[in-house]
Amino acid sequence: MNAQAVSNPVPISDAYRIASGLFDEMFDLERRPRPGCARVVADLLVREPDRLAELRTRADGMFLRMGVTFNVYGMEEGSEKIFPFDPIPRVIDAATWANLEAGLTQRVRALNAFIQDVYGAGEILKDGVVPRDLVLGCPQYLRAAVGLTPPHGTFVTVAGIDLVRGADGRFYVLEDNVRTPSGVSYVIQNRVVMTRLLPDLVRASGVRSVENYPADLLESLCELAPGGKSRPKVALLTPGIYNSAFFEHVFLSHQMGIDLVEGHDLVCVDHKVFMKTVHGLQQVDVLYRRIDDDFLDPVVFRPDSLLGVAGITAAIRAGNVSVANGFGTGIADDKAIFAYTPAIVRYYLNEEPLLPIVETHILSDPDVRRMVLRDLDRYVVKPTNASGGYGVIIGPKATYRELIEAREAIEREPNHFIAQPVVQLSVHPTLLGDTNGAGPFAPRHVDLRPFVLLGKKTRVLPGGLTRVALREGSLIVNSSQGGGSKDTWVLER
Amino acid sequence: MLRRIADSLFWAARYLERAEWRARLVSVNHNLLIEGPAPVGNPWSSMLAISGDQELFEEHYETVDETSVLTFFVLDERNPSSIRSCIDAARANARSLRHRISSELWLELNTLHLDAKQWSAARLGTSEVFDFFQQLQERFYRIAGVINGTLPRGLGFDFLGLGILLERAENVTRLLDIKYHYLLPKVEDVGGPIDLLQWAAVLRSASALEAYRLKYGNLIRTESVVEMLLFDPDFPRSARYCVDRLETALRRVAQAAPEPAAAPTKLASDGLAGLLASRNASEVIAGGLHDFLIDVQEECERISSAVFDQYLRFE
Repeated sequence: MNAQAVSNPVPISDAYRIASGLFDEMFDLERRPRPGCARVVADLLVREPDRLAELRTRADGMFLRMGVTFNVYGMEEGSEKIFPFDPIPRVIDAATWANLEAGLTQRVRALNAFIQDVYGAGEILKDGVVPRDLVLGCPQYLRAAVGLTPPHGTFVTVAGIDLVRGADGRFYVLEDNVRTPSGVSYVIQNRVVMTRLLPDLVRASGVRSVENYPADLLESLCELAPGGKSRPKVALLTPGIYNSAFFEHVFLSHQMGIDLVEGHDLVCVDHKVFMKTVHGLQQVDVLYRRIDDDFLDPVVFRPDSLLGVAGITAAIRAGNVSVANGFGTGIADDKAIFAYTPAIVRYYLNEEPLLPIVETHILSDPDVRRMVLRDLDRYVVKPTNASGGYGVIIGPKATYRELIEAREAIEREPNHFIAQPVVQLSVHPTLLGDTNGAGPFAPRHVDLRPFVLLGKKTRVLPGGLTRVALREGSLIVNSSQGGGSKDTWVLER
Repeated sequence: MLRRIADSLFWAARYLERAEWRARLVSVNHNLLIEGPAPVGNPWSSMLAISGDQELFEEHYETVDETSVLTFFVLDERNPSSIRSCIDAARANARSLRHRISSELWLELNTLHLDAKQWSAARLGTSEVFDFFQQLQERFYRIAGVINGTLPRGLGFDFLGLGILLERAENVTRLLDIKYHYLLPKVEDVGGPIDLLQWAAVLRSASALEAYRLKYGNLIRTESVVEMLLFDPDFPRSARYCVDRLETALRRVAQAAPEPAAAPTKLASDGLAGLLASRNASEVIAGGLHDFLIDVQEECERISSAVFDQYLRFE
């Protein structure tokens, strides 16, 4: 492809509708490609529908053979599905990314400082910036974490920040994930597949690499070794093969060359954690745990948990093992705390937040509650204690009955819900399942989950996971609810 | 290495070897029934009897014929020893240890599993079945090649090896037992055309026919077949060969301990090695081959439980 082709992109079919009131990631209202998108438009979007569909078929085959799958809860145990993949990449130009990167770094550093403070001196509570009752009453607040001082003060080693792009083209934070965020393996695998499908386009576009993530993660994990041990034993703790993110646990442990352990592979002796190896017990220094706090230690939390390690809390408190992410980080991504995050950024960093958040209403306030309940069908209501899109009610799409039930639930336990206005997520050209003469692709809603690694250095993986709602008009992008994903290209220039 | 991982490696290997061995048995016997002289009675019944799964078969099938028996042996997921079930079990074990094997090996296992899910009864029709088994065998060879070509020689490789070798040693004794104990026709047929054809089929099942001819020439004699499959130190599917490798693998595993010490597994493998070293083919045939084969199988079991007790058992 020559330079002229890039500057004069082939016009796309009229069947592709650019809706006003929605931000299209690839085209402006005059149907011109946005910065950085011209090459993808000129090379990929003009292809014959059959050829585009063929790309997807080849990609599906690769994912299936590589076993890049996730498990769906509520279906027959262990049923593996591939995460639907859309071969039209999402492009983020270098300037846009630079801003995002700065905003993400700022945000995650502030959230980490908040956790350190909440379980330490509690300054922010004394200063009344975040209500003490809200923090101490939050189910994510862990007494067991009070007084913990992890190496370098790092509670949040890995953060996944969910961003949406509004009609104004700005990115907003929808949700923070600083417990056990997942999805990064798809970022890396999507690129592997994309590089095989469209090698010339990937190369010519100057896409920033994502393959260093596992090495960076391992470095951050090693920094957490108690006593600064030089070659620590690091392991990844998984709930096991029925967990929806099991593939990711396998993938990351493989890429990092560390053991993948389940709770019953570990045992605590004398406040130390050991793995049961064929030659006896071997001490573990750092656990990258992908198990929720609640399940981590049956002695302290849920006695019915078979997934965790009895006594690990005591081992952590004794300073003999580190876990990442640290204990109790859920206090920072709790949906009720979310409304205070801009204040948290200002409080710890003395800077204005670079990334705005989606307007968030706390329903425990009676006035706010009254306002929201009056127009419930205009809001998205989220339970504060669930993730993965479970239990979310989208007002404009909800049935009368669902709205009634939501109202009752809110009135019963107002602390358990927040409400946000319906964000019109940006759209992106996405290949259709069957074309029906409407053209091979159409706009579908997307979000973005970038991943941030915190340690001595803060690193943001270029891009992140772009999830796409494959059903027309749908705003739910979660893989557990029929979403797919796209490769996300951050351009070098 | 984690005990759980070692256990999964061991069982993934066993199931894989079992699947391969099943495929060998079914395909060769199938050939035998097609090529050989018209047998007396229903040949598919004797194949069922050999498998030891006759009761299970009768629970699910009305008639004993080529279609039902092949389906049962190859495709039926209700049969835990069917080739498809073994492949599933091997892959399920491998899934929890993907991070400890090479991506290439996982890819082979996963692709085989995905293909096995798609297998249809049509593949077992008379005109297709030969190709089917041939291609399947090639897949197993490819997996063996990937294991040898991509896995570092460490504990993982050794536990995989232990699974393969124990299963292989047991299966070679079963193969001999089938011929000697069940297929043995009437006394007057010994040394006759049916007998010879059957011994040739036994050798072929173990990919040993050509190696046999190189070593013993064209004449197929019971004693030499037994010598080859039980006592030959150089043939890769003989019991003796497997035991030699087993001893090496067990030694390496024991030496990898932080404080190496005499291992009970050594005692167990010494038992089997001793049993095979102390006899030759004519002696065991004279003393009763079936009993000897049972002894070998029991020794294999002893090694298996010694390995389990020492390295795999989970408190």
